[in-house]
Amino acid sequence: MEIAALASFAVLFCAWLLAPDRPRTASAAEFISHEAEPVVA
Amino acid sequence: MAAEINAGDTAWILMSAALVMLMTPGLALFYGGLVRRKNVLSTIMHSFFILGLVSVTWVLWGYSLAFGPDTGLGIIGGLDWVGLAGVTGDPSGTYATTVPHLAFMAFQMMFAIITPALITGAFAERKRFKAFVLFAVAWSTFVYAPIAHWVWSPDGWLFGLGVLDFAGGTVVHLSSGVAALVAALFIGRRAGLVEPATEPHDVPMTVLGAGLLWFGWFGFNAGSALGANGVAATAFVTTNTAAGMAAITWVTISWIHRGSPSVLGAAVGAVAGLVAITPAAGYVTPAAAILIGLGVGVVCYGAAQLRLRSRVDDALDVFAVHGVGGAFGALATGIFATTAVNAAGLDGLLAGNAGQLATQAFGVLAVAAYSAVVTGLILTIVNLVVPIRVPGAEEETGLDLAQHGEAAYQV
Repeated sequence: MEIAALASFAVLFCAWLLAPDRPRTASAAEFISHEAEPVVA
Repeated sequence: MAAEINAGDTAWILMSAALVMLMTPGLALFYGGLVRRKNVLSTIMHSFFILGLVSVTWVLWGYSLAFGPDTGLGIIGGLDWVGLAGVTGDPSGTYATTVPHLAFMAFQMMFAIITPALITGAFAERKRFKAFVLFAVAWSTFVYAPIAHWVWSPDGWLFGLGVLDFAGGTVVHLSSGVAALVAALFIGRRAGLVEPATEPHDVPMTVLGAGLLWFGWFGFNAGSALGANGVAATAFVTTNTAAGMAAITWVTISWIHRGSPSVLGAAVGAVAGLVAITPAAGYVTPAAAILIGLGVGVVCYGAAQLRLRSRVDDALDVFAVHGVGGAFGALATGIFATTAVNAAGLDGLLAGNAGQLATQAFGVLAVAAYSAVVTGLILTIVNLVVPIRVPGAEEETGLDLAQHGEAAYQV
C-alpha cells in the first residue's frame, strides 16, 4: 500500500515537471479582464 | 508495556494541530496583503499549495525522516515509517507518550507545512510556480526534516548537546528565515520597485492574517507541551504576553521613528513577538516573556530597517522577522530558561547556567549554516531544471494572470 501511495505522488510530481508553462502577458491580462466583465455585471 | 492514552492530552494535541493548521491560511493572508494587487493570488497560492503538498509528503516520507528511528549519527531518521507504516492510534513510546502516535504525527505535520510557507515571502512577486513546487518538496525533505530530527528527536545531535527549542525557534523560524535570505539573494530584486518599499495593497488583509497567526500560535506553542498541563498553560500565557509586548514596542518605535503609529507595524510586531517566544514558551516566566517581546520588537524593527537600506529584496521581511526573531528567541531561551517553570527543561544564564547560552548560540549557528548551504544548493539545482524567476514581461503583468490565469479583483 505504501508503494502505491508513493507511486501516486510520483505521478503527480512528473505531471508538475511536464505541465505546460504558458506565460500570459499584458495583452492576455486585458483579454481575461474583458472576458470577466459580464460575470461581474 | 504501552503507555495509556490520556483523553485530555489527546484532545489538546488534536485541537492544537487544527490551530496550527489554520496558521498557514493565516500566513497566506498576511503575505497576500503585503504584495501588490497583481500578485496577491500567487502569493496566497504559495502557502495554500504547500498546505496540500506537505500534507502528503509528510505522510509519505517526511515524518519518517524527521522523527523515525535514527540512522546512527543523530542526523536523520530512517525509512521505517514511510507511508506511516507502524504509526498507529497507540502511543509511540518515544514521543508524547500519552497520546496516539498519529495525533503527535499530525501535530508535527502542521509545523512541517508552515515552515516552507514562511520562506515564500522572500521570493514573492517573481518566482515561477513550477520552480516553487520543486523547491518546496526538496526544502521540506532536505532541510526541514533533518533539522527537526537534530533538535527534536531524542537521538538528534543538537538534542544531545542540550539545545532547547520548545516549539521551533530554530527548527521552524531560523531555518526558514535564513533560507529566505538565501532565496532573496539568489532570485534578485523585483523589477519596478518603488523606493523605499512597495506599498502593501491590502493592510486589513495583513492584519487579519496576523490575527489568525496569533490565534493559531496558541496551538503551536501551548500544544508543544504535548499535554493538557501546567507547561501548556505557561506557554499559552508567555506566547500571548510576548506577542502583545512586541506589538506595542514595534508601534512605539515606528511612532517615534516615522511619526505615526503604524497599523502594519502592530501586525508585524506581534508576529515578531510570537516568533521570539516560540523556542522559550514552555521554559520561561510571563515576566521574561515581556522582556523577550520588548527585545525582539527593537531588534527586528532594526533588522527590517537595515534590510530596507540594503540591496537585498527579501520582499516580505522573512529574514528580519523569522530569521533574526528566531535567533533572538533561541538566545533568549539560554538567558531566561528556568527549571522552576519546567522541570523537564534546563536552567539558563539567569538561573546560574551560563553554558546554556553558549549551547543555544551553537545551535543557532549550526541550524543557520546548514539551512543556508542546503537552500543554496537546492535553488541552484532547481534553477537548472526550471528557471526560478519569471521573465520580465510576466513580472510586469503580475503573477496572478501570468502564472495562474486568474485575477484577485475584477474592479
